[in-house]
Amino acid sequence: MHPLRFQQCEIRLSDVYALKDINLEIAPGEHWVLLGANGSGKSALAAALVGEGQLVSGARSALPRSQLVSFEVQRALIEAEREKDDSDITDEVFIGTLAREVLAGGSPDITHQLVEAFGFSDKLNLGFRNLSTGETRKLLLIRAIAAEPELLVLDEPFDGLDVDATAQLVDQLLRLAQATPSPMTIVLVLNRLDELPDWVSHAALMVEGRIAHQGVIKEALPIIRQLLQMQRDDLVIPASELADRVPTLAPGPLVKLISGCVAYGDSVIFDKLDWQVNPGEHWQVVGPNGSGKTCLLNLITGDHPQCYVNDIRVVGYQRGQGESIWDLKQHMGYVSTALQWEYRVSISLANVIISGFYDSIGLYSKATENQQAIAMQWLELLGLSDRAHQPFNQCSYGDQRLLLIARAMVKHPQLLILDEPCLGLDEVNRQLVLSLIEIICASSETTVLYVNHHAGDRIKGIERVLNMVDYA
Amino acid sequence: MANYFNSLSLREQLAQLGKCEFMNPSEFADGANYLKGKKLVVVGCGAQGLNQGLNLRDSGLDVSYTLRASAIAEKRQSWKNATDNGFTVGTYDELIPTADLVLNLTPDKQHTAVVEEIVPLMKRDSCLAYSHGFNIVEEGMQVREDITVIMVAPKCPGTEVREEYKRGFGVPTLIAVHENNDPRGEGLALAKAYAAGTGGHKAGVLMSSFIAEVKSDLMGEQTILCGMLQTGSLLCFDKMVEQGVEAGYAAKLVQYGWETVTEALKHGGVTNMLDRLSNPAKIKSYDLAEELKVIMRPLYEKHMDDIMSGHFSQTMMEDWANDDVNLLGWRKETGESAFEKTAAADVEISDQEYFDHGVLMVAMVKAGVELAYETMVSAGIKEESAYYESLHETPLIANTIARKKLFEMNNTISDTAEYGCYLYNHACLPLLGDFMKTIDTDVIGRGLGLNDFSVDNQRLIEVNDDLRSHSVEKIGKVLRGYMGTMKKIV
Repeated sequence: MHPLRFQQCEIRLSDVYALKDINLEIAPGEHWVLLGANGSGKSALAAALVGEGQLVSGARSALPRSQLVSFEVQRALIEAEREKDDSDITDEVFIGTLAREVLAGGSPDITHQLVEAFGFSDKLNLGFRNLSTGETRKLLLIRAIAAEPELLVLDEPFDGLDVDATAQLVDQLLRLAQATPSPMTIVLVLNRLDELPDWVSHAALMVEGRIAHQGVIKEALPIIRQLLQMQRDDLVIPASELADRVPTLAPGPLVKLISGCVAYGDSVIFDKLDWQVNPGEHWQVVGPNGSGKTCLLNLITGDHPQCYVNDIRVVGYQRGQGESIWDLKQHMGYVSTALQWEYRVSISLANVIISGFYDSIGLYSKATENQQAIAMQWLELLGLSDRAHQPFNQCSYGDQRLLLIARAMVKHPQLLILDEPCLGLDEVNRQLVLSLIEIICASSETTVLYVNHHAGDRIKGIERVLNMVDYA
Repeated sequence: MANYFNSLSLREQLAQLGKCEFMNPSEFADGANYLKGKKLVVVGCGAQGLNQGLNLRDSGLDVSYTLRASAIAEKRQSWKNATDNGFTVGTYDELIPTADLVLNLTPDKQHTAVVEEIVPLMKRDSCLAYSHGFNIVEEGMQVREDITVIMVAPKCPGTEVREEYKRGFGVPTLIAVHENNDPRGEGLALAKAYAAGTGGHKAGVLMSSFIAEVKSDLMGEQTILCGMLQTGSLLCFDKMVEQGVEAGYAAKLVQYGWETVTEALKHGGVTNMLDRLSNPAKIKSYDLAEELKVIMRPLYEKHMDDIMSGHFSQTMMEDWANDDVNLLGWRKETGESAFEKTAAADVEISDQEYFDHGVLMVAMVKAGVELAYETMVSAGIKEESAYYESLHETPLIANTIARKKLFEMNNTISDTAEYGCYLYNHACLPLLGDFMKTIDTDVIGRGLGLNDFSVDNQRLIEVNDDLRSHSVEKIGKVLRGYMGTMKKIV
């Protein structure tokens, strides 16, 4: 490839967002990392590298053949599937594009090799929409690499991958980065400095849509680290409502699953899972991608329809005995990637937090003054108070995630279910969220169920571990 | 079986047609409780059947699915849909006799066969629910006397019924009780609980009658919804090509134009749709719509009259009995039209350009919505029904055309809608022949091309007043208000 050069560029990514003063040169064989806080523009720059956005001013060299993997690409694919879903007019339930069809365009040899390496072969005939977050991510990585681009841009590639898949991706990238004679040029967007591979040669730090610092990794990194460093002391979680809107629960386990099973046709996700969660006992659920962690949590939240064919008791309700889903949800707070994809409404940041009191996506009830005051305290805590009235759907992925975490915590639920809560969060916000979870675990009101792939994200107070591998 | 509507006295007919009122949210304080502990069995597991069932179960109700024995034995898609979602599935013989409420969510055309098969199996004093009243009203289906017959019809596609429920909201829903079949007077309580179980009570419930639902639904679908958009598509496309507009561009403008302009309609009615135009274009579009209304009014009246007299459904059922000869012939014809065969060009058309270059399309939508609405209201149908069956549903069909063009649109809508659509189209094309001769590309394809956007103040005020004071705009504002804040889905 030729060097990719941006000179004094302003690039408009949407009606409300633009990158400014972009000066950057990426030479063939260089490997870059883009760093920055949530909402700083690092994903925007990654998108601009593959030609997205409109060049308002400045000069840009010809674009190399490139591939981008990011949450936005993942989201766009899911959107496209939604568009293709004609079930509302055909009255037939939609299966969707198969995983193998998503991979159809790439080099067959490389595709085959990567499918094997990522252990993906038994997923190829599944509908794309039925894959878990981690599996979708693997699929997109395989597709991007198999397209043999000159420039490969990966926006938070490790987020959502299990330990094996992360190791596999690290190997694959090392091989591509060091291929002779012509290595692939790789740009990584990372939130976590502990994921930085040692073959990365250059770094850039984004701040408010501009490149704040860039250079050869050895010189740039110490400065960037310093710029990223922030201390968060004396965290206090805003109180819940005083009103006794939610009835108190009878004593007893919060969750009791007996011989739990989820299966689609002949394909069994997990089976014979006995699990009891008592109040005050916090759990971490671990297991590789596709092992059913999210399915299990959805049995508890009631979002998985097979909760009705399982022997499961949740917050005092034996499921399938005439209880309404809203009876259960009032006792639970919940965050997951699927929730973020479903939260497609243009309400304000403050109202997103308030919707946690009503367990709704969007807000259909008039908020009390107390609820509004609590929402403002949360926004303050998240550093978003000046944006309280902006629309949610114009926030960056990481900011949306922070808000949904606040939405889940806002009513101090008896059961707080956090399915990979830190996906998409930068270093600072990750620390913030982990600290918040720690405080909640230490309080006596809330019991936490937590899924996280990163060993480094262990939380003090979460002692019990459920390993899905035991139930495959 | 005899047409039920025609068996009633004029007095009864008018009373039934005029039934449609918005129910007070306080009437749903009991939620789905009336159905708690009762056994609900759904017949059919398509998108409506599956998604309604998921909602009802999440509201604490006992739901299972019954399918034909062959669908179960062959593990057909409907069987998979139900079992993968953890529902009990059984044959008619196994489940219908256990049901307190049977939800018939099969396509219209199968109703007679399905109902004749299930009613003898239904237990004494149980309830049969429809989501569309054609079978009762037009085919005159007689249901056993001890059985309560109700209708619950969410006014949105099945996937949306589910999505909105999961958000903690719902979709507007129409309910009705068949007066001939309400032996214990519990029809309304059952219909309300069913509507609440699907989440419909949060977005607003209209209490109507089988007759009002059928007559207004037929009228809406064959005139403005499918008929006008089909006729408009063919006329606009042919006119543009004849005047030298690039065919690919013309195909795209038409295919996606309806969706774009009716999106504005959905959010703010006819007024908002015309407000998206420049002032001169708005006045132009208004004038075209006035002209169209004069030309097309007799056609709308004929459709309404034929629907009321039963002539429409009779001819259609004759065609059903004759192996759909007419329907299939017309469908083939649609597939061969120039618009259908021209692929949309790969050009960017901005949201605003669809309005600016589609002044005639905006006029056609305005004229069609208003005529359908006015004709229904003058035939004794209440404003609320007329609004839902004209303006409210137009964006749904427009969206279908954007995704599937005309041939597939006709293929996927109900047979009643398709049959009526062709009748309308065949009459409307020649009717607008002379009018189309007066049309040039300034109103379809190229835009007015003005440098000077000035207009006469008095004229603009007249047009704006007239737009805003139309009855469909007044009732629309009220009904959209009930639905809560219109949610912009990104």
